[in-house]
Parts: sequence; C-alpha cells; structure tokens
Amino acid sequence: MDSLLDNAPCGFLSFTDTGTIVGINATLLELLGYSPGELEGGHIESILSMAGRIFYQTHFFPLLKLHTRVEEVYLLLRSRGGENVPVLANALRRERDGAIVNDCVFVTMRQRARYEDEILQAKQAAEEANRLKDEFLATISHELRTPLTAILGWLHILRTRNPTPEKIARALAIIEQNAQLQAQLIEDLLDVSRIISGKMRLDVQPIDPLIFIEAAIESVRPAAEAKSIRLQPVLDTGVGFISGDAARLQQVVWNLVSNAIKFTPKGGRVQVRLERINSHIEIVVSDTGIGIRPDFLPHVFERFRQEDQTIQRRHTGLGLGLSIVRHLVELHGGEVNVYSPGEGEGTTFTVVVPLMIIHSTLDLAQRTHLRLSTLNQPPQIIQKLKGILVLVLDDEAHVREMLATLLGYYGAEVIVAASAEEAIEMLGHHRLDVLISDIGMAGEDGYAFMQRVRQLPVARGGRTPAIALSAYARVEDRLAALHAGYQMYITKPVEAAELIAVVASLVQRASPE
Amino acid sequence: MAQDILVRNNVKVIGQGVQPMMFAHGFGCDQNMWRFVTPAFEEDYQLILFDYVGSGNSDLRAYNTERYSTLKGYAQDVLDICDALDLMDVIFVGHSVSSMIGLLASIQEPERFERLILIGPSPRYLNDAPDYVGGFERADIEGLLDMMERNYIGWANFLAPVIMKNPAQGALAHELTESFCSTDPKIARLFAEVTFFSDNRTDLPEVTLPSLIMQCSEDALAPLEVGTYLQHHLPNSALRVLQATGHCPHMSHPEETIRVIKEYLSREGSPHPATE
Repeated sequence: MDSLLDNAPCGFLSFTDTGTIVGINATLLELLGYSPGELEGGHIESILSMAGRIFYQTHFFPLLKLHTRVEEVYLLLRSRGGENVPVLANALRRERDGAIVNDCVFVTMRQRARYEDEILQAKQAAEEANRLKDEFLATISHELRTPLTAILGWLHILRTRNPTPEKIARALAIIEQNAQLQAQLIEDLLDVSRIISGKMRLDVQPIDPLIFIEAAIESVRPAAEAKSIRLQPVLDTGVGFISGDAARLQQVVWNLVSNAIKFTPKGGRVQVRLERINSHIEIVVSDTGIGIRPDFLPHVFERFRQEDQTIQRRHTGLGLGLSIVRHLVELHGGEVNVYSPGEGEGTTFTVVVPLMIIHSTLDLAQRTHLRLSTLNQPPQIIQKLKGILVLVLDDEAHVREMLATLLGYYGAEVIVAASAEEAIEMLGHHRLDVLISDIGMAGEDGYAFMQRVRQLPVARGGRTPAIALSAYARVEDRLAALHAGYQMYITKPVEAAELIAVVASLVQRASPE
Repeated sequence: MAQDILVRNNVKVIGQGVQPMMFAHGFGCDQNMWRFVTPAFEEDYQLILFDYVGSGNSDLRAYNTERYSTLKGYAQDVLDICDALDLMDVIFVGHSVSSMIGLLASIQEPERFERLILIGPSPRYLNDAPDYVGGFERADIEGLLDMMERNYIGWANFLAPVIMKNPAQGALAHELTESFCSTDPKIARLFAEVTFFSDNRTDLPEVTLPSLIMQCSEDALAPLEVGTYLQHHLPNSALRVLQATGHCPHMSHPEETIRVIKEYLSREGSPHPATE
C-alpha cells in the first residue's frame, strides 16, 4: 500500500466476497487498536460489532454485490478492546489484478452519531406531537358536535311539534346553554391559537384580585349548586393591587374552579382562597374530587392532554383549559402549580402572581385607557400623523425600514438610527414629536438608552414622548420599560393599527389641541 | 384473484422445466439475491421467484401489520403463491428467515411440497441460556434496529437505480437501471423484529418433509451450534456444512451453493428433474 493511502485521514479496507481482508491501511489499524499485519487474511466480521455483522450480512454485502457500490452507510465497527466505533462507509466493488475486491473507506462519526441521536429523538417527539394533534382533532369534532346535536334536536322539536309554553322555555334554555358551551369551546381554541402564534395580548391595568375572583365564582355558582357542591370562598380583602388583565385573570380562576366542580362528585366541596404572601398574591383552588394519578401530574398543563380514556368518557372537554391557564398566569409573571395526593384524594391548584410595584410617576390606568380609546378611529389618526417627526431606533435594518415606511404611509416624517449613540446625536439636532425604540439591541439596550434620554435637558429632547418596542410580552418587561421612562409599550410583531394609534395618542397628549 | 397474488408478491416464473422450484429471499433483500444461482436451474425446473409483501417490488399497500406480525403471515404469502400458480411437489429453497417460513408453510400444507432446502437457517436467533446458543443477545438486535433506522433515513436515495458495471454479464444490459433490495423503513423494522425475535424451535418436530440444512462455516447469523441443533430436532434432515463463509453463500459462493443443491436433488429416492 502506498504511503499516501496508508496514512490518509480515513480508514481503508479491501476485502473479497468471502469476507477475507486483503488490505487495510495504517489509519484504520490505529483506529481499531491493531498492529500492522495483524488483520490481513482475517475476516471482516472480526472488526464489526454484533449488530454490524447482521447488517453487513443482510444489507451491506448483498447491496454491494448487486449494486457494485454502497454509499454513506452507517456501521458500528468494533475495536480490539471491544469498543464500538461508529463510522460512515462508502464501498466500491471492482476488479484489481485479475480478482474482484471490495474497497471500502470509513470516516469516523462519533460526534455526528450523537447529533443524529438528537435528530432521531426530535423526529420521534414530532411524531408523538402529531399523534396527539390527530387525537385532539378527533376529540374536537366530537366535542363541537355534541352541543350541536342538542341544539338541532330541540329546534326540530320546536318546529315540528306543537310545544307548550313550558316546553318552549325549556327548549330555549337548553339551546342557549349548548350554544354557550360551544362558544366557550371556540373561545378556548382561539386562545390556544393565539398562544401558539405568540399573539396573546394582555390589557394590563392595576386591579384588585378580589374583583375578578368574585366574578369568576359567581359565574360558576349555578353549576356548583346543580351538583350540590359547596363552594367556599375564603378571600382576604385588601391584599393590594396586581397589574394584569382582569378578563384574563377571571378566565384563569373560572377555568380552575369550573374544572374543580367538573371533577368533584355530588355533595363535594370546592374552596377558593386568596391571600397575600410577601410580595405575591396566592390564589388556591382545592377540591374533594377524583384527584390525579402521580404519573399524570407532570402532564396536567400540557396541551391536548387528558388523563385517560375512561376519564375522557365520563368528563367531556378538550384538555385545553389548564394549558391556557398556565400560559395566562405566566404572561402575568406568575406561576401555577398542581398538587394531588392521588386518585380520589382531591386536587389543589395554586396560582401565584406578583404584587404591583407602585411608582409615583406612572399612571398605568390612564395610558391603557388612551390606547384603547384611539384604536377604532383610523380616519382621524391619518390626519394626526401629518407633519409629525418620528425617530425610529432599531439595530435591525429591516425593522427600521418597515417602521419608517409604515409611519410614512400615515403622513409622518421619519428619521432612523441604528444605535443609541446615533439616536442621542439626532435628538440634539431635531425637534422630535415621538421616539420609537427597540428594547433588545446589540450594544446599549433600549432601557439604558431611555434612561440617558430622560437625563437630557428639555431643549435637547429630554422629554420626548417615547414608545418601547419589544418581543417580550411579560408584565415585568412592560413595567421595566415604563420605569426606564417610556410612555408606551408595544409588543412585536407590531400591528400597524396599534402602532399608529399609539403614536397619535402620544402626540395628542404632548400638545393638546 | 390469482393474478392479484402474482402482482402483490411480484412473482416471476422462469425456466423450461416442469417441477416447480421456489426461491424465497431472506430479510434485508429481495428476489434479486438469487440471480447468481438461478441460471443453473433454469433448464431443468420451473423457477418461481417472488418478493414478500413489504420487500422489493411487492405491493406495499397489501402490507398488514397484524398478518405480518408473525412468520405465519409470511408463510401464507408462500401458500398463496402456490395456490395461485396451482403448484405441487415444490422444491422450496429458503434463505435465512425464509427457511423457517418454508417450514411453517410445509407444516400447514405438506402436500404442496416435495422437499425443503434451507440456506443458513436458524429456529431462534437469541440465546436461551443455558441450553440453546442462537448467537445473539437482545441488545445486539436492538443495535441492529438502530443501525437500520439511521441508514433508512437516506435509504430511498441510496437505493435509487444505479448503472450495473458488470461487463462480463452483457445479458443483464436490459436491467441496467433496476433498483435492488428497496424496502419501506417501517416495514423493514417490523420484519426485522419478527425475524430476530421469533422462536420456531417447537415447530421443528412437526415438519414431515425431507430437508437439507446448508450451513456455512463461520456464519455470524447461524453459528455451527444452530445447524447441529436443527439437524437433531428436524426429522428427516441432512446437514451439509459449506466451505463458504458468511451468511449469503448463494451470493458470495454461488458455484459451491449450486453444486451442493444439485447433489442433493440428484440423490437416490428423489424424483428426477423433468425434461421435455
């Protein structure tokens, strides 16, 4: 063997159809821990793992003989010490010196084998997720059809029979109840779709948790009474304000309490507790219901999951409520946990949400109000942006261009900066009406930038109304931006109508007409 | 119906003889693996070649997880083909797992077959300590399944038709772009599990037909102990240890394979090959 091949950076092996090794280079000998001359005349199986031997006999050799070549075949070799060596093999069958030989090169793939493991696992996980979705689709069609059946059935009765006034009242009540059930299912589905696409938005205001908890309890009271379940609110008054979306938090509590009622047998008890613990509020919903098996507890908050088929038959539902709960609570910077001693032992859900940090210069309620009130008035907005000078600061060129174009459509004049330094410089030279800045930027971020702006004298733009743009949608991110000195906060992806409305409202506030 | 079976199993009938000789491929390949030995029998026999459902160019739509979850389902393929072609007195030549498939078919319908030729057979691949040596532990087979899965990721491209560079066999020119041993990854995995996790030891005494066990020297898939075990437990069987090594003597040592089969077929007491 010439020295070029002998020391090539890959293993080389030549063998006959009978498997006898007729050539092997130094690289392969070294890889497998053999001395020169040791393997020649031996059998190819002596350097293959057990699995590799079967694969060689059932796949590799038949293919090589029939195709005359094989490419990129994964094989497990075996070293002298019994260690598996993963390689990628290419082989060619040809005539040399009057005899047929099979020439084969091996490239090691220890790293790649690990990487492939991860890909295979990801593939399996994707297949599992897909299976769950298929099951979910089956459940959903069933769940959506069930109330529909009741609605259509009663409508048919109303049309074709001659119903008494009592029957009519009864029919209408059932139709309404089922229509509401279906509306709730669709609402849940839309929420899941918003969560998946990252479009779930909160309308954040300072709120007293008592208000939404009591509202949620009131709305499920009839369901509890129908099952003779004792609903016990134990609510501390004056726990303080949290900043959040009242409707969404009511949805969280409603989901937990109605779940508790659903999974608690007649005559049971459901308790809702509210208390303040340090800088958090804690909402605890506990029941005397059927409980949860320990092995299912970790999956309680996963989408499309319900404990098992038997439960599914007894209890309808899509298995979406709790995944929505978790997501909403996390959007509020909080967390939700579940505890159950076991089947038949009841379940306890605990929601923890941070209390609001009161900052004297902020007026959250007013800003939220402004934002909402301007949203539905596009014609005036177009007028409002005429003659307005806006500075856009973003380190992403595409985003800068998109925002400049968008604001330009509505009549604004736009200047752009790619860094905080550049923006500070521009502030000195232009009299800006509004400043829009990205939060997460390379170099100085949007928080530090705004703190510097607010220290500037008024004449150099120190009081320019400012909007923070960020992909983070959590409450603490919003609060951090407001603390840094921004007036408004918009989450990415930016919706045109929202951006324009916010810019317009800021300008209007700064210079009341 | 008969035509459906012939399409389903990609059945090819060749040869000028009368007595049927059926060649059944093993796990991992298809009927193409017989191409080095069949020419030697074309003149004297009617040769029947086929692919099991799920292998080669069979109709994948006919694959049924339940039916093919045991070797009996594969044996039914063999019997279906015998029925479709109305075959009797079949000389069955099975490689590897097909040896057991052939035994099962012969137990079910012995009248169809005249004798069985088993190349590299094994009634059980896993060791069963302390008395039985199959050659493998379960972990070895799981390693094989893993290796198959990794290779099947790119299998479709890998198995794309290639130009056969074999100037010595000009007659194959019309098959230049044929693809060999193509397989569906999911089915191949199930076939591997059925093959390597099966235990047919208790079926052996039920075989009534004479058989030849062709055992290779140094076959990783069927160690010598397995050949000996078979000879002891398979009634009316003869063991022949080949000089050939490996697991595919019909591919690696076609001459010796042909010679041994011919010797066995011409032995006293066997029907003479029919010639027109």
